[in-house]
Amino acid sequence: MDKLAKQLRDDAHRIECSVSEELDDRIRASLESTQPEAGQRIRRESKSFSFWWASSLTGVAAAIAMIAFINLQVPDPGLVATESNPQPLVIPTVQWHTETAVLTSPLEQEFEDLQADLKKAEEAVKQDIDRLF
Amino acid sequence: MSNEAALIEAARNGSAAAFTDLVSAYREGLLRFLLTRSSSFADAEDALQDTLINAYRYLHSYDARWRFSTWLYRIAINNAARMKSVDTVELGDLSDDGDGPLRQCIAASERENLWLSARRSLTDEVYAAMWLRYVEDMSIKDISAVLERSVSWTKVNLMRGRKTLDAEFNKVATDEKSKAYG
Repeated sequence: MDKLAKQLRDDAHRIECSVSEELDDRIRASLESTQPEAGQRIRRESKSFSFWWASSLTGVAAAIAMIAFINLQVPDPGLVATESNPQPLVIPTVQWHTETAVLTSPLEQEFEDLQADLKKAEEAVKQDIDRLF
Repeated sequence: MSNEAALIEAARNGSAAAFTDLVSAYREGLLRFLLTRSSSFADAEDALQDTLINAYRYLHSYDARWRFSTWLYRIAINNAARMKSVDTVELGDLSDDGDGPLRQCIAASERENLWLSARRSLTDEVYAAMWLRYVEDMSIKDISAVLERSVSWTKVNLMRGRKTLDAEFNKVATDEKSKAYG
């Protein structure tokens, strides 16, 4: 244990306080008049399980009814599928004779340097933290 | 089954006596901790009472994967925060230095108690993290569970808290040395 940790522990023990008899009686009386809420979580879980079953069955029944309804419907003779006649799409092509300007390379270099610095700083902080804890 | 687990089981079944035994080892530590977060000694006592009553009432929600003390401190911090938000400081509790009831409970010494410096220089959460680490010996994982913060947040803020208090500690040590040498 280092000096600071030891001092913190010692100083905490120099805070003089204790649970008085009066407070002890008060707590005891309150505890005796309180009932723990036992088993509530289990009841809630079983309720949610039956609810899940009920909602699943309702969903399945609704889906079956909908599929049956759609399949039993007679197709409308007025609706005849027509074949589409798409026009050929002409995209004009332009011949560009240009060269790529290399303007960003100094900035990219700077960016890489900054990233490397950041990584080094992160590692230093991680090492500090690992050394402490 | 450990003694603590047996007491928890008995308390869950409604034994107030088992619960009293269960928390007897934590009561003073909790009171000391709550004292540092309350505006008066009476508030700290009320917060302790509320913490224990809530813990007893909702014991069924305690997850045995965590240490019991971790769960208790989580409740205590919530109670203290709630009391602080609704509380108005009584005139009799106001002290000139703003340290509240903490200073009154600290044994007289030539050197200032580091927790008083911590109260002044750290935020509530960092203070709590430092207390749980160095007084209650909690692991980083437990502290992050109590404070509902990430492990990395806890690590970084413990380091910052340490750095701040280390500076205070070294300053006091230097002052004492210079006094000794005149």
